[in-house]
Amino acid sequence: MLLGIDVGGTHTDAVAIDMTGDAEVAASCKVPTHHDDLLRSVTEALAAILAEVDKDAVTQLNLSTTLSTNAIVQGKTEDVGVIVSSGPGIDPHNAMPCKDFFVIDGSIDHRGNEVRALSARQLERAVDACRENGVRVFAAVSKFSTRNPRHENTIRRMVERAEDQEGNPLADFVTLGHQLGGALNFPRRVATAYFNCSVWRLYNDFVTAVESALEEMGLGHVTVNILKADGGTMPLSQSRTMPVQSIFSGPAASVMGIIALTDIFHDSVILDIGGTTTDIAVFAEGAPLIEREGIDIGSHPTLVSALKVLSIGIGGDSAISVAGSGTVRVGPNRLGPSVCLGGTHPTLTDALNVLGASAIGDVDKSAQAIEVLASAHGLSGPDLARDAVDRASETIYDATRELVEEINSKPVYTIHELVEDKRVVPKKIYVVGGPAEAMKMDLFRRFQLSTEVPENYGVANAVGAALTRPTWELELFADTQRHTLFIPSLSYRENVHSSYDLEDAKKDAVNQLTMQLDSMGVFLQPEDAQITHASSFNMVEGMSRVGRNIRVKCQVRPHVVAVLGGR
Amino acid sequence: MLKANNKLGIIFFPAFDWAISPTHPERQERLLYTQDQLREEGIFDIEGVEEYKPDVADIEDVERVHFCFPDVNSVTTRSHRISAGGAMKAADLVMTGERDCAFAMVRPPGHHAMKVVHGSRGFCNINIEAVMIEHIRETYGHKRVAIVDTDCHHGDGTQDVYWHDPDTLFISLHQDGRTLYPGSGFPQELGGPKARGRNINIPLPPNTSDEGFLMAMERVVMPILEDFKPDLVVNSAGQDNHFSDPITNMNFSARGYAALNEMLKPDIAVLEGGYSIQGALPYVNLGICLAMAGVDYSHVREPNYNPDQIKQDDQTTAYIEELCRQLPKLYFDPPAFDPKGDSRQGVISGNQFIRHKQIYYDTDGINEVQQESLTLCDKCRGLYKVETRADSGPLCLGVEIPIDACPDCKSKGYQLVEDGLIKGGYRYVQLINRKDKDYVRYGF
Repeated sequence: MLLGIDVGGTHTDAVAIDMTGDAEVAASCKVPTHHDDLLRSVTEALAAILAEVDKDAVTQLNLSTTLSTNAIVQGKTEDVGVIVSSGPGIDPHNAMPCKDFFVIDGSIDHRGNEVRALSARQLERAVDACRENGVRVFAAVSKFSTRNPRHENTIRRMVERAEDQEGNPLADFVTLGHQLGGALNFPRRVATAYFNCSVWRLYNDFVTAVESALEEMGLGHVTVNILKADGGTMPLSQSRTMPVQSIFSGPAASVMGIIALTDIFHDSVILDIGGTTTDIAVFAEGAPLIEREGIDIGSHPTLVSALKVLSIGIGGDSAISVAGSGTVRVGPNRLGPSVCLGGTHPTLTDALNVLGASAIGDVDKSAQAIEVLASAHGLSGPDLARDAVDRASETIYDATRELVEEINSKPVYTIHELVEDKRVVPKKIYVVGGPAEAMKMDLFRRFQLSTEVPENYGVANAVGAALTRPTWELELFADTQRHTLFIPSLSYRENVHSSYDLEDAKKDAVNQLTMQLDSMGVFLQPEDAQITHASSFNMVEGMSRVGRNIRVKCQVRPHVVAVLGGR
Repeated sequence: MLKANNKLGIIFFPAFDWAISPTHPERQERLLYTQDQLREEGIFDIEGVEEYKPDVADIEDVERVHFCFPDVNSVTTRSHRISAGGAMKAADLVMTGERDCAFAMVRPPGHHAMKVVHGSRGFCNINIEAVMIEHIRETYGHKRVAIVDTDCHHGDGTQDVYWHDPDTLFISLHQDGRTLYPGSGFPQELGGPKARGRNINIPLPPNTSDEGFLMAMERVVMPILEDFKPDLVVNSAGQDNHFSDPITNMNFSARGYAALNEMLKPDIAVLEGGYSIQGALPYVNLGICLAMAGVDYSHVREPNYNPDQIKQDDQTTAYIEELCRQLPKLYFDPPAFDPKGDSRQGVISGNQFIRHKQIYYDTDGINEVQQESLTLCDKCRGLYKVETRADSGPLCLGVEIPIDACPDCKSKGYQLVEDGLIKGGYRYVQLINRKDKDYVRYGF
């Protein structure tokens, strides 16, 4: 039995999936999300599920949570000491993410040669300043650390040796830039390391609380994984040092849910209409698209890899308003739940109730509330409801068109590979989320494309969470002139001989990926590891070849462990 | 987050699968570290800086400019056509207004490729700037274009392509031809009789550093540009003047290159040479990108940069000051063409300008002899004809009817081709009719 929980903006959804025969939903539930106490939402959802399934049959729980995202959006993060060495280039202060930001002299070049050592005196002064400011978590980032992490390691050693005024270790946690992945992009590395630190304490407290709650509920034996934004999972224990990877995992859960619930072959649009937002994703030839480099958090581009999803402020709980001119608006605000469910302000769900597209909660209350708002603006209730639903589907349609246009104006990456010179032309719409069935016909009329609402549409995100498998990727760099091999995300270094070549590197990358997942308790089929990039360049000095510069990228791509409905 | 003052488009085509030979300076590794540096700097995350894919130049895009013998496919690879296509993409971005300026960081380079192409000269097969400029003129109407070639080697190919074109100003700053390949690029090379002063060469002595380059820019290039009033400024951006370049002897720095571009404000920059692939290119290319985008470049600095060590001496400064005094006159008041000079410079016989040329394709080891002629016409810039033979190969004929051709020159052009086919004994004949966009080739 696999459990999946998706803590959303409005609801926390949970499912249990029975894997004994064909994968089937054995139980599902929706509980309100308590924003001040996410743990309560998780335990309530678990309790509801365990009322229907045997807890001893549960082997795995996959959890997607908005905890880190919310903390960042609401600015409830911890101060971070960000210490960088940048060397020449763009002024590093342009990448400054916070006030405790220190640039230390020192330089590493693109080959990983140390051009200039780190200034120990400046570093000491930076640590002193952090101590005075009460900083306890640190990010160490250097330019080209993915080729040679020496400066980041030096910063870490110095920070870890430092003590606070009471003589206790100053640093509770240090993030090293190169461990976030092998991709080149110093400003993104700085931002990612900063965010990783800024939510570290909050996230770890939550994980500890989840662990003890599971223990209390008799689920201590269960393997727990956390959803990532790239459509994969990571083990809970590992997520403790990588909390930034859990950011924006909600939309990924719905996308993976769609993969589990339907067979997608064509270019398609995926709509997940939730309580507060609608997430829009696009599939090219059946595979979801990914952000090229990483998502933006706030105004900071990061290295956090993610499926490409656009969120807009339209959902079942979106408030309906009427402007002075009689123009009806829906969202982006949410003013509490729908009237039919005990709220005070009419919502999209109430409008759908009035039109007979749904019958949620107390339908009469929906009608009364819509009527009151309508008559205040000289409209009839049904007309207002009609306008509101039209407005909602139009907003979703416009945003989708914009997203598709943006995708078509840039080189496109799917989960599998780069699709060159391909235009994405959606041929089908898949709709999931609470209001999916009620919105189906309106969306069909607007898009004029085949529109499908799969079974279990209401908890597709939780299904996605339950069935998502782990992902991992690594980049390997080898430089046979310097006789080095380096895998940044594992901090793995090895000496290689002069005859080391691309085939050796590919083998090593797959081996290291398999071993890494193995150490995380994840068994990998060898064919699940894919080489996504492999290049080897002869390096020449004078007139002779002095070595090879080899780069290999290897990944376990996101996928689900099973699909529903015996397909 | 950084924001660019000018919307910059970057076209990156490193041609990671193309090389002249495994250890040749122009090989796969050449733009590898530039790509690393640009990515690591996060330059594509700067608001206003966008990366684009290159287009591929069609056969016709090449035939609009060059007489390729035996044909375009025999003297180019797909990489050459993508490199030219990268420059065309840069032009389209600027001409359509999508970008304020664009930098085509592409290879292989092109500025040694002349009007006639039998093979590769100085690592160049087709002239990617010329293919780009003629694409602009064909697509967006006739423009006055200034090309400022800042490669360390004289841009002899571009000079040859535009020798008779009064609407294209070509200025080349380079290491003195007495000390470096291709051995040309002297001040007296001023353009054909119809385009005197439209070709300006600024030969700089070895060891010229930032001071000398920027002085030549300020005192020679900028006043000429101001007078010429081009619709477009193109930088033929070779980067081998760098102090660390292995095949040249100049002392220019990354920050110097950036300052030059800040002054020049090119609409389009196209990468040419530059073979210090580890110590210079990553920093020079970064500096140029930042300067074009209008972003602070003062933190860009090579690992082994020491301004005192590469400073030019007083004698060099004095020499360049004297050049700066004399060179502007060649544009503003060019000496008249001497019609009875030697045949390598060109002579005038009746209404024909005739010039004999010997060209050596150093990369491919080919010798070419050609006779070029231009009808000196009062109504247009004249009908162009070239007879060429590579080593002891077959004789070939090229005829170009200019974009502003008068009816006489046009019909004479077709007559030349017809005569050539019937009784000329040419193995290949190519006609470029710019006026009617008619490009024909015979002899397959």
